[in-house]
Amino acid sequence: MEHEDPRNGESTHPCSKKPKIYSKFISEPEIRDEFSHHQPRVARINNGSFGSCPGSVLEAQRQWQLQFLRQPDAFYFNTLRNGITASRKIIKDLINADHVDEVSLVDNVTTAAAIVLQQIGHSFAEGKFQKNDTVLMLYCAFQAVKKSIQAYVTRAGGSVIEVRLPFPVNSEEEIISEFKKSIEKGKSNGRKIRLAIIDHITSMPSVVIPVKELVGICRAEGIEQVFVDAAHAIGSVKIDVKEVGADFYVSNLHKWFFCPPSVAFLYCKKSNVSSDVHHPVVSHEYGNGLPIESAWIGTRDYSSQLVVPAVLEFVNRFEGGIDWIMKRNHDEVVKMGKMLAESWGTNPGSPPKMCAAMMMVGLPSRLCLNSEEDAVRLRSHLRDCYEVEVPIFYQVLKDGEEGVRDKDGFIAGYARISHQVYNTLEDYEKFRDAINRLVEDGKTCKML
Amino acid sequence: MASSLRTHTQTNSNTSAMNGTSASASDPKSQLSKKPRLHAPPQPLFITPSDVLFEFSHHLPSIARINNGSFGCCPSSVLSAQQQLQLQWLQQPDHFYFNQLQTRILQSRNIIKDMINADHVDEVSIVDNATTSAAIVLQQIAWGFAEGRFRPGDAAVMLHYAYGAVKKSVEAYVTRAGGYVIEVPLPFPVNSVDEIVQEFREALERGKQNGRRVRLAVIDHVTSMPSVVIPVKELVRICREEGVDRVFVDAAHGIGCVDVDMKQIGADFYTSNLHKWFFCPPSVAFLYCRRSTESSDLHHPVVSHEYGNGLAIESAWIGTRDYSAQLVVPKVLEFINRFEGGIDGIKKRNHEAVVDMGEMLVKAWGTHLGCPPEMCSSMVMVGLPACLGISSDQDTLKLRTYLRDKFGVEVPIYYRAPKDGEVGPVTGYARISYQVYNKVDDYYKFRDAIIQLVHNAFTCASLPT
Repeated sequence: MEHEDPRNGESTHPCSKKPKIYSKFISEPEIRDEFSHHQPRVARINNGSFGSCPGSVLEAQRQWQLQFLRQPDAFYFNTLRNGITASRKIIKDLINADHVDEVSLVDNVTTAAAIVLQQIGHSFAEGKFQKNDTVLMLYCAFQAVKKSIQAYVTRAGGSVIEVRLPFPVNSEEEIISEFKKSIEKGKSNGRKIRLAIIDHITSMPSVVIPVKELVGICRAEGIEQVFVDAAHAIGSVKIDVKEVGADFYVSNLHKWFFCPPSVAFLYCKKSNVSSDVHHPVVSHEYGNGLPIESAWIGTRDYSSQLVVPAVLEFVNRFEGGIDWIMKRNHDEVVKMGKMLAESWGTNPGSPPKMCAAMMMVGLPSRLCLNSEEDAVRLRSHLRDCYEVEVPIFYQVLKDGEEGVRDKDGFIAGYARISHQVYNTLEDYEKFRDAINRLVEDGKTCKML
Repeated sequence: MASSLRTHTQTNSNTSAMNGTSASASDPKSQLSKKPRLHAPPQPLFITPSDVLFEFSHHLPSIARINNGSFGCCPSSVLSAQQQLQLQWLQQPDHFYFNQLQTRILQSRNIIKDMINADHVDEVSIVDNATTSAAIVLQQIAWGFAEGRFRPGDAAVMLHYAYGAVKKSVEAYVTRAGGYVIEVPLPFPVNSVDEIVQEFREALERGKQNGRRVRLAVIDHVTSMPSVVIPVKELVRICREEGVDRVFVDAAHGIGCVDVDMKQIGADFYTSNLHKWFFCPPSVAFLYCRRSTESSDLHHPVVSHEYGNGLAIESAWIGTRDYSAQLVVPKVLEFINRFEGGIDGIKKRNHEAVVDMGEMLVKAWGTHLGCPPEMCSSMVMVGLPACLGISSDQDTLKLRTYLRDKFGVEVPIYYRAPKDGEVGPVTGYARISYQVYNKVDDYYKFRDAIIQLVHNAFTCASLPT
């Protein structure tokens, strides 16, 4: 083995470094230390957008990077592939997949969407699907996924159905019923639905979707392929890909699973379809299966794919591991959401059981948030003048829809608050006070 | 910058000590009594050998690293700058995303545009590597077939020595879509540019048979294995004469290795890795796309919300990732300009040194170079003694591993199958590289390793599978 040869100098394999001696479980000061690189005065209540990575995992990543830089050829031939396989095995166990061959590592969900949709595009181009065969997605699907559908499906002649889910939402039944209605509409005129794309946790507005039920409905309705976009799922909700039953399931590891930017897993249930998915960046591994193709797409820094074992170590320093973290994040974000809604006289966007580690909280109508631009203005103002980082959502009302009111008017703006292990009560109090201040000062979004 | 500053201060304090003055700047008396520095030794204008040693001190010292061509290299001052950028992102990613990222990527693109003599920064996109660029260009060709602009059987032409990933990309996007692929056989060893031009012309003729149109020619600027500098300017001109729709130059080894002038070369698409010979960290490449109606239809295969805003903008955001390698180009330029003659000086010295080393090796082993010096860049193919018995691609991998593990030499080996009638030919060539961190000793180590193997009557057949 390369790292045992004395001619190569000291062993640089990350696993051969002396392990840090930790006390039994991680303490509060240790958590603060792990995230001490976060900008200190910012109330960082937006873990959902870009995630977070603890210092000990960043250090493990640096070791991998250094190992490549020291002797890249040896790294490529002797180390890289095994390191990626080790990460894939951990993911396979976490998500209850049958076989490690079903687990590929890619950069992010955006990449996974391109992989799945390119395969759909091929089916149209090669005559397997007819013009106007359909792809079904949620109206609030992530913008990158919508564009990917345009690039690969619409361009190839397919048509698209958007399912408009209610928001604010009160129960899973509302979602299931709306979903069923849209499928009916989609199948009218004899159109065939070739693929359904369902978010596990929508991005904006953020709600946990009953994916298992929706996948079941898809199967019952004869929809061939189901792709679950679970960008926010791993580290946020429990994942059992066999239970969910989708053909494709993808989640980012850098959002809620403490990996550095960026890495995601794409699960592909073994089938005829899954043997025809390819990474769009083609290397000499083309045709050897998606996991192998994705493990080499040319020279790059693969270190974020290699630190999954270090992340597991980190997560297991918490008593109860990732399950405890998920529960704590959920309990705290619900508590904070309630606190904010009560202080502002507004409402949460969904009941607690339809939240994971994020929650939508209505903003006071007096802020007069009436457009996308208003939402962007408010977000920038909160960042620049109050040191609060939180994404703001503008709720476009459907024709005839009335919307929720507070004592002063209609609520059209919602903040999406996140809770991750580094957050403290002060973060949310800072946000609470900032909004109250703006309202007291009579500020509207257009003035900011 | 840090190390040259260090040298500067060292020299100053040495000087003041020699002149018997106090080095303390806070003491007003000593300020007045300072003697003028009439005999100060000249400040080093350029980076010194010990600076270079420091910049690459993270390289494994026990290895003769004569394979810069495969994975490139990155000086530690650039790695530090990269770490700073990574930290900035981690500190407050939303702020970095909204306020920093796009500006910095644009800055890198502008530097590249100037270096490659492109007309407009819109023509310059930054991607991960040449492998990604190939997918971008070839995906557009696939749409040409799928959307009926091209007829089934229309051709794409590429070199037989095209990079493995590019060949697979052609299979995935052109063959799959109904295109017909023609490979241009090239002689190796090669003696002159004319041999290449001749084969290329003949391949284009084949391409145009049966009323086919040649929709794309993929031409390497510097082939990978075996490595030879291809006369791209001339081949592009021939393509224009012969009505080839579009020309894509795969210059993975381009910038920092050969002259890269977009207007001179005249291709429609040109890509080069910046982490091979341009000192960027892994990984970053540019894809140049000459402005035309077709170039507006190029897309990054990983589609984000920027879809439709032009390839450069699409490529600048393909989802959350670490873009830091794309942002250090200004720092890399600083590093390069510490060398006399900048990148041109580095290229020239690398070329001269690798030819010197190649000639030293062939003399020691009684073999020959794979091509004349003027067809080499910073890499050269050096024949290995025939008695080593290299008789397959597998043998080259085994020998390469053996050289790494037993002799501490890192060098890729190429298998060249013997032609009919050849007697005792050289069947193995080592591709040696020369970059600023290399030393003569690296090549002596390789020379001596091979001499020892020959002396021990070693053959590849003796290596375990």
